Amino acid sequence: MDTWKQFEANELTHSAAHHLLAIHEVGLQYGGWARVSDIARELQITRGSVSINLRALKKRGLVETDAHRQVKLTPEGLQAANAVMATRAVLKTFFADVLGVPEVQADIDSCKIEHLISHATAERLALFQRFLTSDPAELKQLLKRFHRFHAECPKERSCDVCKGHCPMDTLPQAI
Amino acid sequence: MAPTEAELIDDLNRLMAEEAEACLRYFQIRFRLRGRGRETAEKFFDEAIKETLEHADAIAKQIHALGHVPSLQINVSLDEGPMTPDDALAEALEVETAALDAYQDFLPRVAGHATLEPFIRQQIAIETEHVQDIQDVLRAPGNLTLVIKPGA
Repeated sequence: MDTWKQFEANELTHSAAHHLLAIHEVGLQYGGWARVSDIARELQITRGSVSINLRALKKRGLVETDAHRQVKLTPEGLQAANAVMATRAVLKTFFADVLGVPEVQADIDSCKIEHLISHATAERLALFQRFLTSDPAELKQLLKRFHRFHAECPKERSCDVCKGHCPMDTLPQAI
Repeated sequence: MAPTEAELIDDLNRLMAEEAEACLRYFQIRFRLRGRGRETAEKFFDEAIKETLEHADAIAKQIHALGHVPSLQINVSLDEGPMTPDDALAEALEVETAALDAYQDFLPRVAGHATLEPFIRQQIAIETEHVQDIQDVLRAPGNLTLVIKPGA
């Protein structure tokens, strides 16, 4: 399996995704236009780094610049930013609302994982959450049962899900 | 509203990071150069490494003179692939222009300051010259000698 090699093979690198989001965020107040200095502050990196990274995004047609060196997302760039935000939102909602992960951690993990999962998986996850929320009363019951079940994890720390590699035991040591 | 001293120090630290990061970037670019004009471009980047480090040092000394310890925060991941001298210079132009913009934006914040205003004005003059030099070279491909300063 060469899946691990795909970590950096995404259409959009993690850094590029963050640049698009920063341009979108900063530009909200200025008709979509953002200054390099504001993007640098938002991302907490130097202007030089932002300028270099913007060159690559411009070559790919994801951003445009004006005569004052201000930057704006192109329609393609906006589409890419929206896709990143949507996937992240789906993941965050799943982690926080379904799994019960604290909000801050859900935010961090959704940011990290967004970059790794395929659009197809994100779509299925969104569909699953729509399914879950389609009946609020049943969802409430389901989550209640889930959290009770979670608390009653078998003593032998092995089941059909973890196939004998229980994350309850290994992850705290691995992190 | 006039910036507080803490805000000025933050800005100076950011300027220092621009210069220090440019130094590291040029340091690595030097080893990525391939193709025609490589040797001349290497000399340019050798000189640029020295100058950016000197600029970072000069800013650090300004911070120190104001009674603070410089705080360098950089987070850079540099590519490894080969670069033509023209691509390398285009990247240097981005970096130098970003530095020039940073100094120019900072100038109004130090207006009237006895030491910082003349210092920033001097940096703007130097960076303006750098940007102009690189632009000249990029307009005239194959003429990299233009940017090599006497004695370099």
